[in-house]
Amino acid sequence: MEVDKEKELREAEEMVKKNIILTTVDTALNWARGHSFWPVTFGLACCAIEMMAAGASRYDLSRFGYEVFRPSPRQADVMIVAGTITRKMAPAVRRIYDQMPEPKWVIAMGSCANGGGPFVDSYAVVPGADAFLPVDVYIPGCPPRPESLIYGLLQLKQKVQNPAKVRLSRHGK
Amino acid sequence: MENSVLLKKVEELAQKLDGEVEVSIDTPVLKIKGNRIIEALSAAKAFAEVPCDFLHDLTGVDYPERNEFEVVYHLSSLKGAQMLRVKATIDRDNPVIDSAVRLWSGADFPEREAFDLLGIKFSGHPNLTRILLWDDFVGYPLRKDYVVDSYEERRRLRTLKPGE
Repeated sequence: MEVDKEKELREAEEMVKKNIILTTVDTALNWARGHSFWPVTFGLACCAIEMMAAGASRYDLSRFGYEVFRPSPRQADVMIVAGTITRKMAPAVRRIYDQMPEPKWVIAMGSCANGGGPFVDSYAVVPGADAFLPVDVYIPGCPPRPESLIYGLLQLKQKVQNPAKVRLSRHGK
Repeated sequence: MENSVLLKKVEELAQKLDGEVEVSIDTPVLKIKGNRIIEALSAAKAFAEVPCDFLHDLTGVDYPERNEFEVVYHLSSLKGAQMLRVKATIDRDNPVIDSAVRLWSGADFPEREAFDLLGIKFSGHPNLTRILLWDDFVGYPLRKDYVVDSYEERRRLRTLKPGE
């Protein structure tokens, strides 16, 4: 009887050891951030329709925890630049980005946000969101399918959760 | 569907304003000088039996080889199937034409668009300012001699004005 009790207690101690994780606050926070991006609700052109489709039931962005599209940039931490940025609109987009609290990330979704797309030579279009925003992830496509957007968000998750890797790849290693 | 009643009226009007009439895919096209435009439009609006009293669209066309702008008015009606196109030519160096806002208040935005993109000035317009482009934009991009800004210039962030 005593032996059985002792065995039970030792097993319980082993289980407790397995449940304790030692880590840094940064790693824990980055892990949490990567699993719950809150994008700003705004779209600039047709890519926004695909973004909405990604958020709707068929593709269901909420499987990954990214579905909380915030109506205010002050509550958001990722900006999905979905669509053509006109030169008239660009300062407003920059203002939305400036209003977001740190830490914040930018995803350029679609050809227009990547580099101007078919409107690259137009008098009214900014050729590429990286002209005035620090873009983290570029998603190609015209427009990219919802799967692409989800893949882009997952790439951003990798980036957020592995800052060391990002630092290395920035120096070409 | 050719409307012979309308065509006859348009021909009479053309004679009065000394313009020309063409028929383009069953639609009469009245070509006149820019200074007679209000006469032409108000006459077309008041045609008996076949009034062309609905301004469908208003656009401008650039013809640098003729040194002219053409302002094109598409007229139709809710009272019948008639359609009329009025083309008024104005000088490219001094592009001024009378505003149609006094006849159709719906001409407001199309005229602002033509002003914005081609630089046609509509005299008598209540608020002739840029509508699509921003206020500081230089030039008129739908003119055929317009040169687009450089890539670097287009990547530069525009500064917002207070209240914008």
